[in-house]
Amino acid sequence: MEKAKEGAVPFDGNAAAGLLRELFALDLTVASLTCEGCGAVAVVAEVRVYGGPMGAIFRCGACDTAVLRLSRTPIGFSLDMRGARCLRVPTAPA
Amino acid sequence: MSKPTISRGFRARPRPEGQGKRVPPGQHVVGDFPVLSAGPTPQTSLQAWTFALQHGGSLLAKWTWAEFEALPQTTVVVDIHCVTAWSKLDTEWQGVTIEALFEAAGLAEPPEPYAMIHCDGGYTTNLPVEDLIDGKAMIATRYDGEPLTPEHGGPARLLVPHLYFWKSAKWARGLRFMDEDEPGFWESLGYHIYGDPWNEQRYSGD
Amino acid sequence: MSSAIPATEAGGPGPRRLEWRVAEVNDVIPETHRVKTLNLGVPGWPGHLPGQHVDVRLTGEDGYQAQRSYSIASAPDAFHVSITVERISDGEVSPYLVDELRAGDRFELRGPIGGHFVWTAAQGGPLFLIAGGSGVVPLMTMLRHRAAAGSTVPATLLYSSRTFEDVIYREELSNLAGRGDGLTIAHALTRARPAGWAGYARRIDQSMLAEVGFPASARPRVFVCGPTSLVESASQLLLELGHERSLIKTERFGPTGG
Repeated sequence: MEKAKEGAVPFDGNAAAGLLRELFALDLTVASLTCEGCGAVAVVAEVRVYGGPMGAIFRCGACDTAVLRLSRTPIGFSLDMRGARCLRVPTAPA
Repeated sequence: MSKPTISRGFRARPRPEGQGKRVPPGQHVVGDFPVLSAGPTPQTSLQAWTFALQHGGSLLAKWTWAEFEALPQTTVVVDIHCVTAWSKLDTEWQGVTIEALFEAAGLAEPPEPYAMIHCDGGYTTNLPVEDLIDGKAMIATRYDGEPLTPEHGGPARLLVPHLYFWKSAKWARGLRFMDEDEPGFWESLGYHIYGDPWNEQRYSGD
Repeated sequence: MSSAIPATEAGGPGPRRLEWRVAEVNDVIPETHRVKTLNLGVPGWPGHLPGQHVDVRLTGEDGYQAQRSYSIASAPDAFHVSITVERISDGEVSPYLVDELRAGDRFELRGPIGGHFVWTAAQGGPLFLIAGGSGVVPLMTMLRHRAAAGSTVPATLLYSSRTFEDVIYREELSNLAGRGDGLTIAHALTRARPAGWAGYARRIDQSMLAEVGFPASARPRVFVCGPTSLVESASQLLLELGHERSLIKTERFGPTGG
């Protein structure tokens, strides 16, 4: 089947940085997220992101729980964070 | 909002001519079969696979793979339309129609007007039951004469080609009847609750 | 045109909206048979950090739009803002950028984006860079910055390409390594080698990482960029070699750079 592999391979939070930046004034890619499913902590930039053109679905590397679901449609943004327990955003330069 | 800068000579990929009436507004025809997934590809073995019908917490029917394969099979050739603007014409699928499932389950009438499809990996999508019967939908197990690959939703996916293709949920494992329409995965993220490509119902508010 | 002072991602004292700017192509520089560097003039460019990227948006006469992300190839103090683009055979944007664009053409650009996959000389080292294919671009920016800053932080680049002809920035990398400022470069060619090839002739594996890279005890800052499969495999091997998770940063380039 043509092109089967491409869409199935996830990007990471770096690739969704532009979209996040449209919604948030701060760079969220340097933030850390705690997964509600298993407690694993990851930096947003390195979380696997699925959903291609329809949206950015960030999934925990350990248990695949959707920690952030973000989409942009003509009427605005939708952000579902039920899969994240905590988001820590540093404001000092790295 | 100011007009964006036009880039000289940029155009979308060339579109084949002459399919006007078959292609909904805002779509273009592709020859390949793009994959879009909201999560990693599940790898469910046929031994473990089941498909269930549920209503209000009760199991109405459940089939193993062998039982499912023994149900009446239908082959269709349909056009499919993705909300990301690609359409693919004349795709061939084989599977079990939803009304064949209902019949096998002994359901003379669907118990509720709405359904939620539940899938491996947690994906869901909602539809009116009316859009699943009368030959409008099936649980497909073969594409183009071959068993459906995992990347394209195998072992089995819902196929409901008259709606945008996000409704044709991959890795389908069950149908749950609902008395009210509830948004599924993408519908909860701003996509249209119904999704008719002929009325360009891509997003809520359309 | 570009700022002499590297800017934070926010570009100023407080957070700022990222807006689309107009980029004008100043030069088009072939790198390999399918890769070109575009030197851009971007009025109002706030500056960037090595490793950051930009979003590029193309709009056709009919209003059709497509958008993709590209790593910034130029060091922060360079005269132009540059991106290096690989033509993906059935991509929508990259064939246009590589085959069609000429000096004087314009498109929209937004950035700089991404504060995670960033290295500046001030962060120190040792610096261990691992690249697959066009994943070398943000790492090259880091090396260009390192050279421009006169840094002697020990650095190693392990760069995997399909063939010798696919190696991007080949000559410049050789020159950088020849400066004697503590930079080592190792190449792995996975598909075909020229006669007399003395570099690696296989995909990146654990023994290659151990031979080429700094030991885990040196606590190098590791940056891995390339296709998802290479990035995930290399990250796992690095962890098995004892490198700390917090010191490894990754950026995945999908096969559909576009």
